[in-house]
Amino acid sequence: MLALSVAAVLAVFLVYVSFAGGGTPAVEPSELKGRAEVVVLSGQVVVGSVQTSGEVTRFRLRDVKGTATVPVTYAGGLPDQFKAGRDLRVNGQLRQGVFVGEPGTMVTKCPSKYAPKQRSS
Amino acid sequence: MAELGRAALVVCLGLSLYALVAGSWALVARRRRLAVSAQNALVAAFASALVGSIVLVVALVRHDFSLVYVARLTSKELPFGYTLSAFWGGQEGSLLLWLLVLTGYAALVVATSRRRRSELLPWVVPPLALVAVFFAFMLVAISSPFETQLAPANGAGLNPSLQNPYMVAHPPLLYLGYVGLTVPWAFGMGALLARRADEAWIVATRRWTLVAWTALGVGQLLGAKWAYEEIGWGGYFAWDPVENAALMPWLAATAFLHSVMIQEKRGMLKVWNLLLVILAFGLSLFGTFLTRSGILDSIHSFTESSIGPWFLGFIVLVLTLSLGLLFARLPLLRSRTRLESLVSREATFLYNNLLLVALCLTILWGVVWPLLSEAVRGEASVVAGPYYNFFLRVFGLPLLLLMGLAPLVAWRRASLRSLGASFAWPAGTAAAVAVVLLALGAGSSPVGLLAYTFSAFVLGSIGYEFVRGTRARRSLEGGTRLQAFSSLVGRNRRRYGGYVVHAAIVLLAIGVAGSAYDTVREARLDRGERLEVAGYTLTYLGTTERMSANARELRARVAVERDGRDLGIVEPGKNFYPVEQQVSAEPAIRADAMSLGDLFVILENSNPDGSVRLKALVNPLVNLIWLAGLVFLAGSLIALWPDPAEERRLLERYALAPA
Repeated sequence: MLALSVAAVLAVFLVYVSFAGGGTPAVEPSELKGRAEVVVLSGQVVVGSVQTSGEVTRFRLRDVKGTATVPVTYAGGLPDQFKAGRDLRVNGQLRQGVFVGEPGTMVTKCPSKYAPKQRSS
Repeated sequence: MAELGRAALVVCLGLSLYALVAGSWALVARRRRLAVSAQNALVAAFASALVGSIVLVVALVRHDFSLVYVARLTSKELPFGYTLSAFWGGQEGSLLLWLLVLTGYAALVVATSRRRRSELLPWVVPPLALVAVFFAFMLVAISSPFETQLAPANGAGLNPSLQNPYMVAHPPLLYLGYVGLTVPWAFGMGALLARRADEAWIVATRRWTLVAWTALGVGQLLGAKWAYEEIGWGGYFAWDPVENAALMPWLAATAFLHSVMIQEKRGMLKVWNLLLVILAFGLSLFGTFLTRSGILDSIHSFTESSIGPWFLGFIVLVLTLSLGLLFARLPLLRSRTRLESLVSREATFLYNNLLLVALCLTILWGVVWPLLSEAVRGEASVVAGPYYNFFLRVFGLPLLLLMGLAPLVAWRRASLRSLGASFAWPAGTAAAVAVVLLALGAGSSPVGLLAYTFSAFVLGSIGYEFVRGTRARRSLEGGTRLQAFSSLVGRNRRRYGGYVVHAAIVLLAIGVAGSAYDTVREARLDRGERLEVAGYTLTYLGTTERMSANARELRARVAVERDGRDLGIVEPGKNFYPVEQQVSAEPAIRADAMSLGDLFVILENSNPDGSVRLKALVNPLVNLIWLAGLVFLAGSLIALWPDPAEERRLLERYALAPA
């Protein structure tokens, strides 16, 4: 009885996973090269790169640990926490060398985690 | 000052360590007085954690920026209430709150268990002390809130998003919940250590579990309300890992609250209940770990976090010890009885448990999927809303239905005839509601229609239970209907409180399912231009600016009309915080009594030419979610309220049981 129910639950799960696939790839700018599919891009907003023209924001995103960067355009409302130097995540795809973000998908980290970098003591 | 705080934490660590070592040795060597001394050490550990906390509060209130923590999270301009709430605004303070709440619970456990002369108490002390040692150690050695520096002139200020009344109450409630789950776990482990296979630990912890579970539930709803009003995207829950972190232990605890009833009544599911309590406690540690370690941003940032590896190590230790102990005691835990029928109250509880745990584990799978996929395939991938929503429907809808079915099904073995009689009422209600909804065109969303039909069924079945119970009581005792009703609830607080909680869950389900009928419109508007959304007409009138104590507040003035009626002006806007160098969205929310929903207006952008980009949402039924919170609290309080008669009965039952 218990075994049967557990099997049923597992079956539902496997059916879903096999049909819907294993999620959206999550990459950083350095891993973006040559990808055409929709991905979740995460990285850090490069200081001094943010430009706003009308309602489109352009900036460069950098690997959180690294130097690779990619230009990003985003035409949606920016989250409150958006700021140069912040880590964020945005869905979208690479088009001719520019990562085009889907409006409404940009998230920054939960504010409870915004403690400035601890000095190593 | 800082020295006093540091010293208090060191003393707390020492006392917890003593409680762990002496408490364990007392059990091995059977030394009663040593066991009592270990219990006293736990109470003293609470006192020293309290001293440490008071030091931090005083430092916050006095703007003592020589404390790194105070300088990082507050400023002179910060309002008093938020200055206090900065206590749990950062990692070190959160850990201190964990320790304070944990030792507070431990001290209460010692005090109440002594009064009841519980034989389990000496066995519960070492597990409680183990957790206290871990948190005290983290605060002393790894992440101290009392680090000092040369005081800067002003602090950095609190993140504006956290400057919200809901954020003052949400974290402490969550911690009351997370940490509270330590108590049933400690009792479960204590019972295993003591080789007691009876229900004493469950009886002793029922109320503790309910308190923790209620706090966790209310805390999450406050968090949702905060997200709704403060983050300003028009929603309240986004399956963010941090949100899931609190939902998972709540689901596990919900399963536990139900399955313990089967163990109490029928002596079944002993191993399952211990597994659930280990799962709930493990998930509460995991939740703290998730929110604090940064592991989900990437595996790489995890190794840099100062507390992540320690937490992971502690979780592994706790799980290994708990499961190892459970395995060692398996022969003691055989059930006295077996399931007699698949159509019985016990069986419905079992289905409910499987669904809750399945939902909990699929969420867990989604949360750790980025890590698993990176470990296995070398590339991280994430699952988002659709994944979670799918499983919420697949497991949630049957759960909803079960909530209506279970109260109508008898214990042990239900006869079909009695089932038919009690089903007539609720099923009739559900059918009527379904027909009305179909006529109104709700069939556009089959899932929504199903959810509402099930909801009607549950409400029908709860109503039927109350009516049937009141009638029976009245024929027994006479008196008015009201007297019979209050006597009914008063004598079975747990059961009828539970039904009230069920009604709250139904309200929640209706509110959440209402999001299927949301409307969103967005436009760039010049002064005088209009935006139409679901029957509302919004006219942009212009922007205003004013200064508050610690922010510059920009507001767009927007006139609202519906069906030619003037509904006044709403003012969505943004606040700019100069000290913190941050922006915070301040959406305008206008409740509508008819649809129980909101008109939600966001100022996305204000342009130099005076135009703005507005986003407007109409969210029907969303206010039922907040109403559900109040009903939930009321139901929990009814179930929690002390019932001396029941306590006595249970105590007598287990005092006689062989140890």
